[in-house]
Amino acid sequence: MTDAERLEDLRRLFLEAPETGATRLLAVVGALVLAGGILWLVRRRTLREEYTPIWLAVAAGVLLLGLDRSLLYGLTRALGAWSPSSTVFFLGLVFLVAICLNYAVRLSVLTLETKNLAQEVALLRDALECRVARDAVPAADPEPR
Amino acid sequence: MSERPVLLLCAYQEATRIGDVLDAVAQAAPGYERLVVDDGSSDATADVARRHGAHVVRHPFNLGYGAALQTGYKYARAVGAPWLVQMDADGQHDPSGIASLAEPIERGELDLVVGSRFLFAGPGDAYAMGPVRTLGRRVFSGVSSAFGLSLTDPTSGFQALGPHALALYVGDFFPCDFPDVDVLLVAHRHGLRVGERPVHMWQSRRPSTLHSGWAPIYYVYKMSLSTWAASRTVSGGREGSR
Repeated sequence: MTDAERLEDLRRLFLEAPETGATRLLAVVGALVLAGGILWLVRRRTLREEYTPIWLAVAAGVLLLGLDRSLLYGLTRALGAWSPSSTVFFLGLVFLVAICLNYAVRLSVLTLETKNLAQEVALLRDALECRVARDAVPAADPEPR
Repeated sequence: MSERPVLLLCAYQEATRIGDVLDAVAQAAPGYERLVVDDGSSDATADVARRHGAHVVRHPFNLGYGAALQTGYKYARAVGAPWLVQMDADGQHDPSGIASLAEPIERGELDLVVGSRFLFAGPGDAYAMGPVRTLGRRVFSGVSSAFGLSLTDPTSGFQALGPHALALYVGDFFPCDFPDVDVLLVAHRHGLRVGERPVHMWQSRRPSTLHSGWAPIYYVYKMSLSTWAASRTVSGGREGSR
């Protein structure tokens, strides 16, 4: 038996290792807690509705992977991973990197908008102060009759 | 609408020095409207500046040097100033250079004039830079030359801007922190006529936060990245900046 064949046997052993019910239960409960938490935050007006689809999709994905064993194993084989948990970690990392990049872009836009707003406030306040000072002059120093 | 040019000073926590600088500017350039953009100082910078005859625009909070400059550009455009001269509020720039910076803009020869301390050959102390800053200056001079913009002092903040430069610099590309060779390259790529004139500068009287700790490394990184982005700017005529 060659080394490659031995490795492939070992990988098959990993993939065919009996799965505990606790793992699936954890995934299902985690997904439901995540979905519930998102809805709770929306109800408290802490999280805006437009930010919820991505997180509800994550909760749905975790729930699906927890309920349907063949889906996670199929993905693991397709990605060349050795164990379903590696696939879950890999997908989680990809998602976190993508969402961090997305937030960095949103933050850059918000920084620019905040800067423009602050400049606008400064210039408007200056214009207002000038106007108030101009209007105050005749009252303080009325023209002689 | 104002016929007077604007003399812009961006100040942050400069209460102890801004008064002297404003007095010196009033003597050297009496025809200018002296504008101080107070970048959210918690000291008496704004009050001192007003007492010394400056018009003061105050940011509600600290936005950064570049954003303060841009507020000044927005103000100058709003009041219809024919041109603007900007200088540091810490007294590093000699106000006697204001006239020579503004002259090419008054004559319509240039759109943006950079005051170069290294072209100055008159009386006064020669400006000395440390080896790291000298290396940085040479690198960025070389980079700007590679894009067809020859500058001996690309990090100088002593500049004069005509209406085309003001129109371009109020755009969203203008950085909040430290606009240097990157924005000059954007101006050049937009077809603005950029040149240099000799000015005298004194050594800064206090250590700059930009030259301590990790700041110089971040400065070089950030400036390289934004200079690369500026070099990718689609070039256009001056009409595009109006």
